Amino acid sequence: MRDVLYLAWRYLAHHRIKTAILVTSIALIVYLPIGLNVLIGKSADELTARAVSTPVLVGAKGSPLELVLNSLYFESATPALTRHAEVDRIAETDLALPIPLYVRFKSRGHPIVGTTLDYLDFRGLEIAAGRRPAVLGECVLGSRVAESLGVGPGGSVISSPESVFDIAGTYPLKMKVVGVLAPSYSQDDLAIFVDLKTAWVIEGVIHGHQDLAAPEAASQVLDRDGDTITANASVVQYNEITPENIDSFHLHGDFSDYPISAVIAVPGDQKSGVILMGRYEGDDATAQIVKPKKTIDELLDTVVTVQGFVVAALGLVALATVATAFLVFMLSLRLRRREIDTMTKIGGSRARVAAVLCSEIVAVLLAGGLLALGLTLATGRFGEAAIRAFLVG
Amino acid sequence: MRRVTWTVLVLLTLGCDSDREAAPPERSAAPTGSRALSVYVVNEPLRYFAERIGGGEVEVALPVPAGVDPAYWSPDPETIVAYQNADLILLNGAGYAKWVDLVSLPRARLVDTSAAFRDRYLPLDEGPVHTHGPEGEHSHTGYAFTTWLDPTLALEQARAIADALAEARPARADAFRAAFAELESDLTELDQLQAAAWDRLGDAPVVFSHPVYQYLERRYQLDGRSVHWEPGEAPSEEMWSELEVLLAEHPAGWMIWEDEPLDGTRARLEALGVRSLVYRPRASASDGDLVDGLRADLAAFESG
Repeated sequence: MRDVLYLAWRYLAHHRIKTAILVTSIALIVYLPIGLNVLIGKSADELTARAVSTPVLVGAKGSPLELVLNSLYFESATPALTRHAEVDRIAETDLALPIPLYVRFKSRGHPIVGTTLDYLDFRGLEIAAGRRPAVLGECVLGSRVAESLGVGPGGSVISSPESVFDIAGTYPLKMKVVGVLAPSYSQDDLAIFVDLKTAWVIEGVIHGHQDLAAPEAASQVLDRDGDTITANASVVQYNEITPENIDSFHLHGDFSDYPISAVIAVPGDQKSGVILMGRYEGDDATAQIVKPKKTIDELLDTVVTVQGFVVAALGLVALATVATAFLVFMLSLRLRRREIDTMTKIGGSRARVAAVLCSEIVAVLLAGGLLALGLTLATGRFGEAAIRAFLVG
Repeated sequence: MRRVTWTVLVLLTLGCDSDREAAPPERSAAPTGSRALSVYVVNEPLRYFAERIGGGEVEVALPVPAGVDPAYWSPDPETIVAYQNADLILLNGAGYAKWVDLVSLPRARLVDTSAAFRDRYLPLDEGPVHTHGPEGEHSHTGYAFTTWLDPTLALEQARAIADALAEARPARADAFRAAFAELESDLTELDQLQAAAWDRLGDAPVVFSHPVYQYLERRYQLDGRSVHWEPGEAPSEEMWSELEVLLAEHPAGWMIWEDEPLDGTRARLEALGVRSLVYRPRASASDGDLVDGLRADLAAFESG
């Protein structure tokens, strides 16, 4: 038997290019559907991981998908805005911890996430350098933001105007960077986190300006009628919050009227979550409650049939490759007719000659299979990290 | 197009299933254990209530320097970080300590002790209305915030603290409730003492040296008007003139002070027929024990 294997080995070693092509072709055709499936599975897991870890989202009536994509991945357009009263509404039920989100503004392309410190606790985000935001106008950067902007604690970032044509819109706010988050390999690495009230400062609903009752502001006052002061547009509104001017920052009206884009509700237990869902079911005219996992699953389920087409296509490719490999082997036999005749003439039986040829084919198939297995294992081992790296840039 | 969107599109194109079960994460809560709960408060009454209810189970901190009114104090970032790291942060509510609105504190650990009686807040007179920019007319208004001067409201605040401590440390809930019951008894007694003491005034008008006694006024139906006099400063002649005008239409026989007035001020008031009574709101750490202090002030009033 060793002589048979030796002859097969010598043949494959002699025709190493042809052998390599055959092994690679077979490996790829085995690996492609399996590896793709592993990769897709891991991509789906990565994508749905945040949805799974976010029990319930509450937002204004509108597209649930937009609400989920904006709140979980800080992407897509800002969904219809709701009011901070929704946070109070959830808090008053005592069923869940409400974590407000206001994802609307950006700084050099990076989303500014207005929220509370509870968000950092909820996502398990640790501070790698510096500290958490303490006062109005402070921010912490996701690890990739800090890396790409080259900014750390002590530096600053400036919010971007929403539109260059909206000259009466929001003023850019210069925010002090007080901390950088440790990498979490999620969308949080790509965001800038500020207190919700700082997001409202960016919007202008909380603002600081000169004291209009002070003598220095006399030139800005157009009219004084009792307690009513009308000022012109030259009133200086501060675009940076400093220890000197922070006391001039104030809000008008009640927090409950202020805008937010969503609320993450973290129920104490599953029963509380179900009861909370029930409170929003029915005829709520202004708010919607969604389970992010369900929304993402629905998104994926709607196209699951497409997977069948992909598998069918891969099957056809596999069939074509197998047919080609078969053809290669058959042509090879024809080309080796004289070699086979020689082996027969020098005393090789038909069975021994067939054994040599079969050994060659089995060796090629085995090598291709082993290579495919190696690639699949590598995909399983490193695919997750590669997908994470890809997702967070 | 961003990467997540791209990935969604890839998955949309290729399709996949994801059957991972959703499990609600643990609610972010104060850490528990055998160590004392770290409780940060914003004024002395809350510190007093928390210490009386929590006993040895709590370490209460009121990091306001002595002699500074906590209502108008602003902490530095390091102190705010200390607040952020506390197990519980007790707020007075009603707009007390405005710095709270301008800092980042974890909602999961905040306790607004007056939330149960928001509908009974007393609004302050409106500030100046002003207009600038596209926002239209607005003014900076608020509520009276010395809520604890009404013992029935103080009791509600103490109850909120007892509930918060019991939630943070369920194993000690019975002890907290027992301590609260004792405090409730003291506050109820204080309420009765005050009702009897203030009843001595009948319908006679009073003047308050500062506009901080609104809840006391409402609770005991006092007929009061407020001025802005500092106990440690001699009033200007203009302030005296304003007081005389006020007394002409509001003939008060008593002025209620936040602290001992200067001897000269006291004497001149008495010359105008106005006696001085010190009734400290006791918001600062340096003002001493809340209930005993208020009792002492009442005793001085009754003996005076």
